[in-house]
Amino acid sequence: MASQDIHSERQHHIDMVMGDVAPTVLIPGDPGRVEVFASLMDEVKKVAEKREYITYTGKKDGVPISCTSTGLGTPPTAIGVEELIRIGAKNIIRIGTCGAIQDFLKPGDMIIATGAVRGEHTSEEFISMEYPAVADYRVVRALIDACKQLGLPYHVGIIRTHDAYYMESPQAHGDFFARIRPWQDLGVLALENESSALFTICSMQGIRAGTILASGNPIYTPNADDCDWDGNIRKMVQAGIEAAKLLHARGLA
Amino acid sequence: MEKQHHIHLVPGDVGETVFLPGDVSRAKIIADHFDEARFVAKNRQYITYTGSYKGIKVSVTSTGIGGPALSIAVEELIKVGAKNFIRIGTGGMIQTWLPVPSIMIITAGVRGDGTSREYFPLEYPAVADFYTVEALVKSAEELGVEVFPGYERTHDAFYAESTFAKIDYLARDKPWIDAGVLVTSNESSALFTLAMARRCRSCSVICSAGSHQRPDLVAPADVFKKTISDGIKISLEAAVKLHKMDHAG
Repeated sequence: MASQDIHSERQHHIDMVMGDVAPTVLIPGDPGRVEVFASLMDEVKKVAEKREYITYTGKKDGVPISCTSTGLGTPPTAIGVEELIRIGAKNIIRIGTCGAIQDFLKPGDMIIATGAVRGEHTSEEFISMEYPAVADYRVVRALIDACKQLGLPYHVGIIRTHDAYYMESPQAHGDFFARIRPWQDLGVLALENESSALFTICSMQGIRAGTILASGNPIYTPNADDCDWDGNIRKMVQAGIEAAKLLHARGLA
Repeated sequence: MEKQHHIHLVPGDVGETVFLPGDVSRAKIIADHFDEARFVAKNRQYITYTGSYKGIKVSVTSTGIGGPALSIAVEELIKVGAKNFIRIGTGGMIQTWLPVPSIMIITAGVRGDGTSREYFPLEYPAVADFYTVEALVKSAEELGVEVFPGYERTHDAFYAESTFAKIDYLARDKPWIDAGVLVTSNESSALFTLAMARRCRSCSVICSAGSHQRPDLVAPADVFKKTISDGIKISLEAAVKLHKMDHAG
């Protein structure tokens, strides 16, 4: 049984207390991407740094927004998300990169996830596999509108979250195509490593979650990484910030 | 093309948007909400009416109860040209804060059914089409109908998980109650996964006359009749919105 004052305690991993984060928190996997967020804000300060969890909180056009890195994979993401909820986060939006697995995806395209295949195990420790990993539709709408405002091409659909990068990536062991083919057939846009745990944990607690991912070329093409990742990641973080502003304006933060 | 094996329809028989009640008798009730409608086919529990609403061609096909029957209808409807599926059904609420009766817009399904498992691994999400969810929520707002967006637990055995069950159904419901799931019913997970895999749109409008926790508190028949009618009206308006979105310019 959890102690009764879990909300007022300094959180064990993210090293923050209630008040340290805004109602909307953007969560990149890569701690380096928190710096991109900081560079795009009007005012910002580093609130905490412990393990892979770095947090900045600041304001953009008067709206408070935070950014906390979670590290790679669902185990640290689940810890980060759980602790962020305990200190008051209401909207949690993953901002990340992915491996595109549909032919029509191009570098610089933004992928807005409505749901995620639960190909990881962390969420299963929380609830049975029957439970769906789904983004909140209001966060999906905010991300769509943010991309429209910024003129960014976007695709709305489902993604696949999984654990073992070296089983399902161009550098994978064994028959990588055989592993991704079923997901291509089922309409999955891209592979990544965090969202299904984020969606599951948040929806179980009535917290709004969403994911926006910057796409490269499809991972089975020879020029998969031949694109301006840094520039596209920057645009994706901008979209996350705009979405946070929209959620605030719509009374959802 | 020969007429489909179960639904007895051929291309042209249905509009892009098809409403899917489980209850056979509700097909006619839904068709009566169209501007005009004609009976098209009947075979087994599959009854189809096609007509128009605000200038667009719409259809209704009853599916019968459960994922097995629904999946047959959806597969065959896709073959004859259906693209958008809006299930209009009933269910038992499992959140006590929901009013009686209520209309719920189902954004996702807990996959407690067998049909979707035979098709797709359990890790695949049963998620409604985002734009259909939005169209239904917006239509409800415009019509002044209160709706609750959220999840359905889809399952197979009505007499294992309903107020009519002999076993402790609330014990079975508990994980889903704790996770905020709104309602139990029998079709959405099969519908959502199948539609997603076939690149179609789908969502469910579930009307409920009562909750598992309060079997004594059930909406009177005349009140619930209006609830179902409201669910049908917002579904029709949503079909118009989807048509405008998909055929813009």
